[in-house]
Amino acid sequence: MIEVLGLRKQYGSITAVEDVTFDAEPGAIFGLLGPNGAGKTTAISCVSGLLRPDAGRVRVFGHDVVTDGRASREKLGVVPQELALYEELSARENLSYWGAAYGLRGGTLKKRVQEVLEIIELHDRAREPVKRFSGGMKRRLNFGCALVHTPQALLLDEPTVGVDPQSRVRLLDLVRDQARQGTCVLYTTHYMEEAEGLCDRLAIIDHGRIIAMGTLTELRAKVGERDLLRLSGRFEPGPVREALGRLDGVEIVQVEADSVTLAMREAARKLPSTLQALTAAGAELYETTVTQPNLESLFIKLTGKELRE
Amino acid sequence: MTFLWRTALKDFHRQRRQPVEFVLWLGIPLVIGALVVASTGGRGGPKPQAHLLVVDQDDSTLSNLLLGGLSQEAAGSFIRAEVVQLEAGRKRVERGEATALLVIPAGFSDAVLREEPCTLRLVTNPAQRILPGIVEETLAIFADAAFYLHRVLGDDLRALAGGPAPGLDTFPNAQIISTSVHINELVGRVNSYVDPLVIQLETTTDEEEKEKAAGPPKSFALYFLPGLLYMSLLFMAQGVSEDLWRERSQMTLRRLVVSPRSVTEFLGGKAIYGTALMGATGFVSLTIAFLYFHLAPSALPLATLWVMFSGAVLLLAMMVIQLHVRTQRAGNIVSMGLIFPLMMIGGSFFPFEAMPEWMAKIGRHTPNGWSVQQLENILNGTVRPAALGNAIALLAGVGVVLFLVCARRLRRGFAQG
Repeated sequence: MIEVLGLRKQYGSITAVEDVTFDAEPGAIFGLLGPNGAGKTTAISCVSGLLRPDAGRVRVFGHDVVTDGRASREKLGVVPQELALYEELSARENLSYWGAAYGLRGGTLKKRVQEVLEIIELHDRAREPVKRFSGGMKRRLNFGCALVHTPQALLLDEPTVGVDPQSRVRLLDLVRDQARQGTCVLYTTHYMEEAEGLCDRLAIIDHGRIIAMGTLTELRAKVGERDLLRLSGRFEPGPVREALGRLDGVEIVQVEADSVTLAMREAARKLPSTLQALTAAGAELYETTVTQPNLESLFIKLTGKELRE
Repeated sequence: MTFLWRTALKDFHRQRRQPVEFVLWLGIPLVIGALVVASTGGRGGPKPQAHLLVVDQDDSTLSNLLLGGLSQEAAGSFIRAEVVQLEAGRKRVERGEATALLVIPAGFSDAVLREEPCTLRLVTNPAQRILPGIVEETLAIFADAAFYLHRVLGDDLRALAGGPAPGLDTFPNAQIISTSVHINELVGRVNSYVDPLVIQLETTTDEEEKEKAAGPPKSFALYFLPGLLYMSLLFMAQGVSEDLWRERSQMTLRRLVVSPRSVTEFLGGKAIYGTALMGATGFVSLTIAFLYFHLAPSALPLATLWVMFSGAVLLLAMMVIQLHVRTQRAGNIVSMGLIFPLMMIGGSFFPFEAMPEWMAKIGRHTPNGWSVQQLENILNGTVRPAALGNAIALLAGVGVVLFLVCARRLRRGFAQG
């Protein structure tokens, strides 16, 4: 398993991650969900051994990544966000090289390379130079290079960024397969739907800190069964707060000069009275959005902003 | 196969599929070398020779002597004389087919014997600059010779020029004997001045002694060979070291850092690949050169090894540069900014022998210049084992230090980007 305890990493005066604590179990997918720049890549880089933590502890199947780096790295397979392949070499040559980097030799290496080629469905294009591959094929090979030594833990840093929908589905299936086979998977993404559909447990990270963690059910419960109503336009925060405060069952999440976010049950039914109250408070409305409870609404509730912002 | 060798093999396969770069590394020095060989006449080549067309309108014994003199001994090595008709000769000079056209007018022989004014007309080819000068100088020497001959044998020559006395078909025996005795006495008198001395004083400089010891003069193109080879090695060192940036930009270096393998093994693999590439290039180039210039084959293995090891150190030096600059572009600018002056002064563009002494002195102390000099010594067979041993020890020491610097930088910062 992967254990992260009180992790902190700074770049000069900027703190990229602060007091990050979580653990990922074998046979399950643990997701780190957060917007770009939230600290997901820094956290996963500390786990992989690419970066040295400034504080805290990271252990991979009992091996500390700092004091017992080599042993911990042997257990890990890393799928970086960017393609990390030799474009001039073939798929087979890439897999063989990275397999050798993890100590595989001779017949074992050859056999495992063939297995991985079949897993990632590139066995019929194994001898072609990678530069001739499509983006999706390269992504699959990028994933395969991390699998070739049969790692006990798999780190995936936004592996579906820039991937076409079909290839994304295929990649996510491959990740699920690995977890089913007992691999401990740590997966970072800023796609809410991906996290909801894939992860068994999740940590939501923003500005380098974990702001919520648990199973999907646990996280949804934090939002409650309430819808989120987002309104954009021009608002006078004082009168708006006063007007909305008089409405029953409406929780004010955020009020700003150009947007208002509210949480309520059955938002569609309460919408007319809410809009009436806002108009009476002098608001000028441009757009209204109702969001049913999900990770996005949790993120909005916790941070007051959308995940994609 | 260990990861070290697998890395070297991986780089070989990558290079094999991108041959253009390799062709350029070899091609630029080869083109320069070919131009040098062509412009210097290759392996010794034919010496520049003036082609002199001669129109002999006199057709006398003396004009034939002049013609013979132009084609023999020292003059013959510079001038190839060919007797032609006036009009044909003019046309050939106009077409640029000859260096000059010499017209020996009728009455030339009589005029010379009587020491009367006589004009030899020389029409030169305006397209040539040096060879017509050689012809003019040679003719001036002949004119001077005629003048001095008159000073010592003037009376006899004039008597001969006057022909036999009226009524006689030939010269009388008494006159022939008298002239012969006079010439014989004259030769006897000047014999001590023109014959070789019993004691011969010969002065030579140290440089000439060295040249004598080194055997026959070597081809001009051979002076360029070591420098051109190192030009190629510098390009290779730059190209292979720049591959570290490619590894970084395509993220393979990051993948390596998160693997259990050490960057030292990876760096070692790259260094092995670069060294093997340089060794192979050196071996092929030197083998061709040994065959072409008929060099002693026993020096080939040592020369190849020297090229390989000195090339490896140049590669590591280039890697140090690439690993300590902030961007690939900066690495390219800095390394190229170093390579070109090094090539200029280190004997790649001009051999040390063709440089001013102060420049050659500096050039011989540059890394590539020093290596070029050692290679020259190996090729000439003048290398001393002790000096070569010291040089190899120095290379090994510098190589180890550079490798450690590279490994440290690669581990701490460069790979993480």
